[in-house]
Amino acid sequence: MKKLILVMAALLLAVPGAIAAEKEMKVGFVYVSPIGDAGWSYAHDQARLALEAMDGVSTSYVEAVQEGPDSERVMLNMARKGYDVIFATSFGYMDPMLKVAKQFPKVTFMHCSGFKLAPNMGNYFGRMYQARYLSGMVAGAMTRSNTLGYVAAFPIPEVIRGINAFALGAQSVNPKVRVRVVWTKTWYDPATEKEAAKSLLDVGADVIAQHQDSPGPQEAAEEKGVYSIGYNTDMSAFAPKAHLTAPIWNWAPFYKEVVDQVRKGTWKSQSTWSGIKEGIVDLAPFGPMVPKAVQDKVLAKKKELVGGKDDLFSGPIKDQSGKIQVAAGKTASDSELLGMKYFVQGVVGTLQ
Amino acid sequence: MTRFRVYKRQEPLGWGSCLVFLGAVAVSLLVSGLLLSIQGKPAFRGILLLIQSAFFSSWAVEDCLIKAVPIFLCSLGVSIAFRLQIWNIGAEGQYAMGAIGATWMALKFGHLPGLILLPAMFMAAAILGAVWGFIPALFKVRLRANEIIVTLMLNYIGILFLDYLVYGPWKDPASFGFPMTKEFPPAAVVGAIGTTRLNWGLLVCIVTGVAFWIFFKYTRLGFELRASGENPRAARYARIPYSGLVLLVMSLSGMLAGWAGLLEASASLNRLQPSIMAGYGYTAIVVAWLSQLNPLVIGIASFLLAGLRVGLETLQLDLQVPAAFGAILEGLILLTVLAGGFFSRYEIRRRGAAPALARPQDKQHP
Amino acid sequence: MNMDFIIPLLAAAIQSGTPILYATLGEIVTERSGILNLGVEGIMLLGAFSAFITAQVTGSPALGFLVGGLSGALLAGVHGLVCLNFQGNQVVSGLALTIMGTGLANYLGTPYVGKSAPGFDALPIPVLSAIPLLGDILFRHDILVYTAYLIPLVLWFYFRFTRWGLGLRAVGEHPDAALAAGLKIIGYRWVGVLVGGWLMGFGGAYLSLAYTHLWTNGLTAGRGWIAVALVIFAFWRPGRALLGAYLFGGVMAFQFRLQAMGTHLPSSLLLMLPYALTIAVLVFSSWKGKENEMPRALGVNIEPPD
Repeated sequence: MKKLILVMAALLLAVPGAIAAEKEMKVGFVYVSPIGDAGWSYAHDQARLALEAMDGVSTSYVEAVQEGPDSERVMLNMARKGYDVIFATSFGYMDPMLKVAKQFPKVTFMHCSGFKLAPNMGNYFGRMYQARYLSGMVAGAMTRSNTLGYVAAFPIPEVIRGINAFALGAQSVNPKVRVRVVWTKTWYDPATEKEAAKSLLDVGADVIAQHQDSPGPQEAAEEKGVYSIGYNTDMSAFAPKAHLTAPIWNWAPFYKEVVDQVRKGTWKSQSTWSGIKEGIVDLAPFGPMVPKAVQDKVLAKKKELVGGKDDLFSGPIKDQSGKIQVAAGKTASDSELLGMKYFVQGVVGTLQ
Repeated sequence: MTRFRVYKRQEPLGWGSCLVFLGAVAVSLLVSGLLLSIQGKPAFRGILLLIQSAFFSSWAVEDCLIKAVPIFLCSLGVSIAFRLQIWNIGAEGQYAMGAIGATWMALKFGHLPGLILLPAMFMAAAILGAVWGFIPALFKVRLRANEIIVTLMLNYIGILFLDYLVYGPWKDPASFGFPMTKEFPPAAVVGAIGTTRLNWGLLVCIVTGVAFWIFFKYTRLGFELRASGENPRAARYARIPYSGLVLLVMSLSGMLAGWAGLLEASASLNRLQPSIMAGYGYTAIVVAWLSQLNPLVIGIASFLLAGLRVGLETLQLDLQVPAAFGAILEGLILLTVLAGGFFSRYEIRRRGAAPALARPQDKQHP
Repeated sequence: MNMDFIIPLLAAAIQSGTPILYATLGEIVTERSGILNLGVEGIMLLGAFSAFITAQVTGSPALGFLVGGLSGALLAGVHGLVCLNFQGNQVVSGLALTIMGTGLANYLGTPYVGKSAPGFDALPIPVLSAIPLLGDILFRHDILVYTAYLIPLVLWFYFRFTRWGLGLRAVGEHPDAALAAGLKIIGYRWVGVLVGGWLMGFGGAYLSLAYTHLWTNGLTAGRGWIAVALVIFAFWRPGRALLGAYLFGGVMAFQFRLQAMGTHLPSSLLLMLPYALTIAVLVFSSWKGKENEMPRALGVNIEPPD
């Protein structure tokens, strides 16, 4: 009899535990731009759809949310409506998110590309620069004019870092290359981006890379019959003859991990900056025009990165004025990378 | 059909105008509902959700009030210019310049106590905003340059100037390279009212709104401006000629929009960054027109249009409606109200028949 | 600053200026009839989207281009309805149209952002493109650019020599005299609004079918407003509109090329150039006394009699 009672008690205790493990999770996303831009928000939304496919997870999102008080209100609403995890995918959401996080200690907040933390708020980003370095290697190998064009949106650290990594990668296979940068001051405006790409083509660039969310620059390269490097997603559909490869995002595994951790109660507030090794960033498949020798070289370097060896920003690295930014024998630290404010030698362009 | 003709009403409809307005809004909601259906969203439920989440949840009123503050100030400014039929499309740029002025003051004199710093910021924002309104006014009176174009171009230039400052000389060294200024010192922040999320900018709105209402209703200059609607060039006040009035209203207009920028920078963001630009300057035009340039009605309309923006977010969150839906509704309301205004001013009746609302003294001549 | 720089710049100026040219010509037609239509930006964007989606669905860029024009005319028709039939204020109606038109295009177009559609590619004209210098600048573009070369000519002829063109101008200059002469003012103004809207829609369609083969929210990026300004610069003459549009396109192309060449000027300041230029151009035109050229009855609704 005692045994029966014990067994029943054990079962009774186990049942809520079992139910708790299958708790329905509500996950919300805040995007800074419309999701259909085949770019930054699109990549996050693809991951959100992967989450949606998980058992017991429902997701929703609000797009084109202005940074500042609007974002604060959106996150407040999500928290009030009982969302368990909220992802905010733009730097400017950082302060508003912190304010809301303080008011809702039971909700988990994840901020992308920022640096502030709270007991229930973590931040995360991806080492896109690793993929950029690899794409730079391809560009450097394929260029004949030794001029690479880069259509860039805004002079913020991640863009600058990406340009530098691209340049370093290109220089590692072709020390003579120059990278010319044009700022468009927009994330997604195909007409403007295409015009910017054309201006680079007119000064002799024969590979166009971009830190933009639309395929406008790809079109320009395709029309001129030169090469291009995409971004965010595989853009080869827009430029089949030009598209060499693209550095792409793959947020799904990371998001799934976070949701699982929150569900199980093992989530901890921290700054996560994962890269190729963890699968958050990757390189799109090579276009058919990339010779096997180049592919092999790039894949070998990728293997190193996957193995955890990240010496991409090891010294000596000089900036545009010739000053040494990273000394010989040293590697740039994470915080140096996160706050990168200079262009490496070989990059032609302003920082404003 | 030729038996019916359009006649101007002897008197514009009074309370009937209200009905016409409501009718216009109803039509807009109907068409918007249709648009929702096109995208496969539930129309009726969507519109209901929009209204409910904008005004009828416990925190919605607070949200709407917060959002209404910049809209109100920009609208008030725009309405002053519209009275003289000066089409000030430049509230966005004037707002940006005001924010820039306030930021400059806050960053340069941040060590001063709030009692001195805040009024100084208001002054700086007023001056820069007013200048941005003065320039197009000057071109208009001296060269008869179209103010619509000049104010619009100055919008772009003002915003780009803001970009230049936050990406360059004013960038916070501790911001990891992101475009934003240093955080404002506490003395430079327009504080919150008690424990709510509202800030004292609300008081600024009330004070300016009442002030201008009194101005237009009870002062001679105000009366002159009000009466000049139909024939602006005949407007005169004492010895100030028409051109002087133009410069005055555009400067006032810019000043108010500049104060909206100040409040957003100081109270909402506590710093200057590109995302301060939220299209309030354009919404302001819609609000000013819908309110028939009346300051008190502007207060109500600002609240309603702020509600539209707030409700829209819930629509996005719950029904995945694209963000552009709000702009459609704003534009539709304006268009239908414009069209509806026809019925307040004109009536259709049989040729030669008596007016529907005839007064005894309005006997029709055969 | 050699030929290698100037020739591609001028060619880019023409391509960049073409959508603005279509829109400017459309607004000229509308304003000549006495109606001020500030909804150009919204009309262009809707034209861009409808052209894009038509080309995507049917596979025919030509059909897409036509539909772009059609949607422009339809949206302009709303403005006509509000102003001509409901006596709405023309300025406010135009602004409302911009807000609604851009909202509508962005709303309907959200699922299509980032997709591409079949479009117009470059079509060098056989003999003419071989002319040194001029050939490279003028004759290596797509067919819509060439069409844009011809429309000012057509409009010039129409306004100067045809009965309908003269009637439209009369309605915009002296509606009282036109009325006395028996012209149907409303009719001519409707023509002005619809034809103008059609051309504005073409301008938008050019952006999504030829300039790029893409669609995104806000593709027009303020070009509609530039067109309104250029109408004044052009003194309401189609020929001068050509000059203004290409000049403007050139400035937009130029500031990118400056960057590509490695200038140290901050890009924000460079981006101001087109807008500052527009103001300069406007001020210059006004100083030169353009109000003699403005259609006298522009912006004033014809009221029904008491």
